[in-house]
Amino acid sequence: MTEFWVSLLVTVIKVLVVLGVFLGVGAYLTWFERKLAGHIQARLGPKLVGPFGLLQPLADGLKLLTKESIVPAGADRVVYYLAVILALVPALMLFAVIPFGPSFKLFGVEVKPIVADVNIAVLLVFAFGSLLVYGTIFSGWASNSKYAFIGSLRKAAVIIGYEVVLGFSVLGVILLAGTMSTTGIVQAQIERGVWFIVYQPVAFVLYLFCMLAESGRVPFDIQEAEAELVTGYNVEYGGMRFGVFPLAEWYLNVMALSAIAVVLFLGGWSGPRIFGPLSPYLWFLIKMFGLVFFVLWLHWTLPRFQAKDITEIGWKVMLPLAVLNVVITAFVYYFV
Amino acid sequence: MEWLIFGFLSLWLLVSVFGTLFLKNPVHVILAFLSVILAIAGIFLHLGAELLAGLQLIIYAVAIIVFYVLVITTIPWEKVKKFEGIYKREALLAVPFLLISFLPIAYMVLEGKFAVSERVITEGNIRSVGKTLFTNYLFPFEVASVILLTAMIGAILLGRKEE
Repeated sequence: MTEFWVSLLVTVIKVLVVLGVFLGVGAYLTWFERKLAGHIQARLGPKLVGPFGLLQPLADGLKLLTKESIVPAGADRVVYYLAVILALVPALMLFAVIPFGPSFKLFGVEVKPIVADVNIAVLLVFAFGSLLVYGTIFSGWASNSKYAFIGSLRKAAVIIGYEVVLGFSVLGVILLAGTMSTTGIVQAQIERGVWFIVYQPVAFVLYLFCMLAESGRVPFDIQEAEAELVTGYNVEYGGMRFGVFPLAEWYLNVMALSAIAVVLFLGGWSGPRIFGPLSPYLWFLIKMFGLVFFVLWLHWTLPRFQAKDITEIGWKVMLPLAVLNVVITAFVYYFV
Repeated sequence: MEWLIFGFLSLWLLVSVFGTLFLKNPVHVILAFLSVILAIAGIFLHLGAELLAGLQLIIYAVAIIVFYVLVITTIPWEKVKKFEGIYKREALLAVPFLLISFLPIAYMVLEGKFAVSERVITEGNIRSVGKTLFTNYLFPFEVASVILLTAMIGAILLGRKEE
């Protein structure tokens, strides 16, 4: 019985640590993104609140929390509030299956730095990644606004198309590793001494495209499309309820999907032990935030695709490429 | 502790099932149905059927319900048939069928013994499901895929614009 309570305590601590760290980092990514955008566009970005504008996220948070909340007329109140939760929860659940490092012993208890080490981790990633679509659709529908609804339908079309491509692009890695557990995939890469990006370069590129599409980042941000749709599906939300949508979609989702990409293609926590005992964790975070930085960089560099182009590219170019990649991987893996 | 988790999941399941049956707004109904699917996935996870839980989430919670949601949310509300009250005659007609199916099930639950599978699954869920699917059930599996392909071609033909 004590074993049960110990494992429950460990899990609760892990959940709290992951939630605290990534919600906090998500808030600070807003500061980082604005600073980066400023420097890319030859201006300064936030600099007045605190040193280097470091207190800007706190100021933004206070502003959002103290704003008057307005629910549009004719909105479906229950669904309107539920959509906020539906947007945030799947993005946070994605962090449950990310292994941040090898297991270690603490007070004689073996601790794995992953919240849920399940055998179907990769399947859960697809599931939660696509459950995000409900937050978008219902927020658009419940707002009783045409702009919001068009934005949410566009996002739904993108997610449905790219979720399929995502699944097929990851299949190659699963074939090579022979397991769907995220820890198992990292172990397989460490045992071979090779990152799977070497065997699966095409899959990696496809995964990056899907990551951008799922998290609604440029060049796939047609659901926001400020110029045509004001800001899309979340236009009728105010205060912190508005703040939750970009936080979930642009920051939490990008971080989680980058971490999954590190697990699948970039060898997880493997790397030379140059930082002492903490090096696996630091390597994981370095790789993960390298990818996050790449996404932010693209966001402030590229223009936006047209809505019809995005789905056409997804179904007609990327899906056949992904299927071809799976077939070739299976043949090579079986015969060589 | 097992019964606590099972009780919570079952209660959640029952509440959402009744929501699906009795809510009036179609969007609320589809949300309740989504909740049913999530509760069932939770029960599968609790029973150790991880693969089933994952497929339940991917196929039902996402792939299928998304299309219901897309259809329901885009329907113009003026043209929707209004709520006409509960169909009393149909409900009364259903009672004998309910009784007939309930009695034998109740009898079996009370008198019968629950079989416990003797085969202990040692390897992963995914591996064993894949093996049975591609050895014992290869033919039905292929037939199902052909049927789905036919449905897909039919849908594309119907959805195509005439040029």
